[in-house]
Amino acid sequence: MRPQGGELYIDNRNNPGFDDATAVAAGLPVGAGRGVFESATFTCKHCQAVVVYNPRNDQHQRCRGCGNGLLCNGCGAVFAQTRECKSFERQIAEILAKAS
Amino acid sequence: MARYSLTFTSVTMTATADTTNLVDSTYAALLQGGNGTMRLNVGEVYLGGESAASAICIAVFARDSTVGATVTAGGTRNAVTDASNQAPSTTAVTGNAATTKPQRSSTLHLLHPSFNAFGGIARWQARPGEDISIVGNTASLGEASLSLYTGGTGIVSGHILYEVA
Repeated sequence: MRPQGGELYIDNRNNPGFDDATAVAAGLPVGAGRGVFESATFTCKHCQAVVVYNPRNDQHQRCRGCGNGLLCNGCGAVFAQTRECKSFERQIAEILAKAS
Repeated sequence: MARYSLTFTSVTMTATADTTNLVDSTYAALLQGGNGTMRLNVGEVYLGGESAASAICIAVFARDSTVGATVTAGGTRNAVTDASNQAPSTTAVTGNAATTKPQRSSTLHLLHPSFNAFGGIARWQARPGEDISIVGNTASLGEASLSLYTGGTGIVSGHILYEVA
């Protein structure tokens, strides 16, 4: 299912762009550094990292504790082992509770 | 909810490794909570390249493991977007110069809008409700910065749209 998420738009039509190694290192698919790249993104519910959504690899973990929200690969791997919801909103609530 | 545009103009961004001091005016901007409980929601990041030759910018919007202190605007401007809005009594801390230099976290990278600054652009817009949050004013959740990772360089203008929640 394609998430109705955020959007990342990169326009390198008027320049040489950047190489595939740089693209992959930045979490972008091969070819994203040439021409126009436009993709849906989602924000990890546990760490708020922005992930470029890849429709060919829709294997991201979802956390029921945060509304079936999508997780990035790192948080997804942790969640798969622990099944513990570490929602970012919960972290914020704890910080604010300590501060007040 | 006051909404702001934090802009930066013709900044010559240079590559900086993680957990290394971000030198004044070599990174786009930092955004830090104005007090210990302030929450900021970042909804858009935009970069427009102005280099005169090919210049790959490996841009990173990331949380900072060392937050800046005595931050000054440098080449940035922070403007409320709604002309009729009354700014809150405490505003966020913004700028790209500081006495205590901020350092990008090595683990908490949030967004990688890489592009070529030779006329290229990169823009990220969050889905409503999926904004990137900055909470408080201490590491690591209290500050985020937009800078270039090792290997990149370029002259860049752009903005970060955020709201004080």
